[in-house]
Amino acid sequence: MSQALLEVNNLVKHFTTGTQTVKAVDGISLSINQSETLGLVGESGCGKSTTGRLTLRLIESTSGEINFEGQNINDFNKRNMKKMRKEMQMIFQDPYASLDPRQTIGETIMRPLMVHQIGKKKDRYNQVLELMEKVGLDPRWVNRFPHELDGGRRQRVGIARALAVNPKYIVCDEPVSALDVSIQAQVLNLMQDIQEEFNLTYLFISHDLSVVKHVSDRIAVMYLGKIVELAEAEELFHNTQHPYTKALLSAVPVPTLEEKPHKIVLEGDVPSPKNPPSGCRFHTRCPFAEARCKVEEPELREVGSEHFVACHLV
Amino acid sequence: MKEVLIEVKDLSVQYTSEGKEIKAVNNISFQVNKGETLGIVGETGAGKTTTALAIMRLIQTPPGKIRNGSVQFDGKDLLQEKESVLRKVRGNKISMIFQDPMTSLNPVYTVGDQIAEVIWLHEKVSKTEARKKAGSILELVGIPAERGSEYPHEFSGGMKQRVGIAIALACNPQLLIADEPTTALDVTIQAQVLRLMTNLKEKLNTSMILITHDLGVVSEVCDKVAIMYAGEIVEYGTLEEIFRNPSHPYTQGLFNSIPNMNKKVRRLTPIVGLMPDPTEIPSGCSFHPRCPKAMKECKSMKPGNIQLNGEHKVSCHLFDETVVRGRVETNEPSTP
Repeated sequence: MSQALLEVNNLVKHFTTGTQTVKAVDGISLSINQSETLGLVGESGCGKSTTGRLTLRLIESTSGEINFEGQNINDFNKRNMKKMRKEMQMIFQDPYASLDPRQTIGETIMRPLMVHQIGKKKDRYNQVLELMEKVGLDPRWVNRFPHELDGGRRQRVGIARALAVNPKYIVCDEPVSALDVSIQAQVLNLMQDIQEEFNLTYLFISHDLSVVKHVSDRIAVMYLGKIVELAEAEELFHNTQHPYTKALLSAVPVPTLEEKPHKIVLEGDVPSPKNPPSGCRFHTRCPFAEARCKVEEPELREVGSEHFVACHLV
Repeated sequence: MKEVLIEVKDLSVQYTSEGKEIKAVNNISFQVNKGETLGIVGETGAGKTTTALAIMRLIQTPPGKIRNGSVQFDGKDLLQEKESVLRKVRGNKISMIFQDPMTSLNPVYTVGDQIAEVIWLHEKVSKTEARKKAGSILELVGIPAERGSEYPHEFSGGMKQRVGIAIALACNPQLLIADEPTTALDVTIQAQVLRLMTNLKEKLNTSMILITHDLGVVSEVCDKVAIMYAGEIVEYGTLEEIFRNPSHPYTQGLFNSIPNMNKKVRRLTPIVGLMPDPTEIPSGCSFHPRCPKAMKECKSMKPGNIQLNGEHKVSCHLFDETVVRGRVETNEPSTP
């Protein structure tokens, strides 16, 4: 069993807008082991991106613990946190919005090296060129601007920027959703290669279940700010327990002519996180809901080896 | 033999941008039979949306221009008809569902009014009757009729897309063109919308052109499939033919690029390189710079449409006997 690099305990984030409170993340606990990829899936608004950002302290949590290599980074002051940021980086969803349009590719990749004062000034340019080569960008593009690049290449710039400080942990927030499938496969392969080479630990956030299954060792499924199921990837797909996970998996259109599993089509929409349902949050759409699901909130408990489910019926 | 509803022949569309000519759609032909669904599959910039807009003659001119071709529908060539005739066809006999339900509805009109407008424009009914009919169409797509008095911002994404479908179906069209109708939706909502679309299609016997980049969606709703690359249809066939026997190297590349939930693959096999710049489409077969099986003929000669079994057609030299035989005779290493 490898060691946990990151462990979050009872993490909560409530956003207050006017008089209302949005319970974006409402008490989640998980751990990510060294050199592991933990996939985080769920539909829009379930709190997966918020969770990713919380683990980096890009947004401050309302309560809860974030232990990175055994230290609770929530207690860190600004200076210590800045040092810590070298270890933890992020790759963003939108390669169009996450690059500064007025900085060249080279400047963008060099910036983290400057901020963290890595290497000597004169070496940094060469470091940038090395990084570009590593992520499959032609070093001749170093003085180009983001608008001259297509989506796939921009995402490579984002990856190079995250790699620059030689981090241990990278939050990948929908890194390939904006890309066409042929380019998506190129970027996914690149991310696997650098993970092996640099021994990286990923939190891989995506709504695309086939992509998540492809890259993840373990997968956590979120619904309305809570983790409803967490298991090793193959286990989650072949021994699905939570009714929401079952519906989610069956809803994915699989490109095959083979007999497909019966589709469970959920009725209605995801309820608003401003006013989540009582008891089990999924009970309003759950085809198996019972009386107690409305009142009692299910705990996330272990039902098999390393397989956790939050459901009264399991 | 099934009855042909719409036949597109040699359609070419160009855009002009900064003095450069962009060939968005090049000489494509296809037909859709009554009650059938054709899936048009391709990546960004393949010309899928342009094709759809050209059928309805909704290409903005300038910068766009339909260079040649014909669209036979209902005994007329839609590309030759007067604007007034087209206005009677659009939204009535052919209607469209757009990709983004957030921006395709008018924010300052109620949902009911937006549906009623289509009915009132095309059918000889009073506004009150139109509104009443709008209510029953809302019910058909699973939204309570009384919510017709609400505005789009009061609806969720999935419900807005249902409204889009309601507007498209308001006049019982013969052909429905759906441009990435579920791309902006979450998977569970996508499943709802796809189920709704297939149910309604069966009930009303509507034909459909479904534009998508998602082969999974195609496998669930389409009867026929056309794969587009750089403004051309590179492969065409029934769902069975395309999925059992994908023949064009691009189609094969697409299938290999998607992670398959049922199979464990350690590494994906992407298509190398990028989509060509539409102002500089490569010579010969436009896929040759990315094709793992490219031969020297592919650079110089444009492949014709080669008929395989059944309805399966592919536009690739690998299947052209004269090219392949020629290679054997000149003793060149035979690829693939």
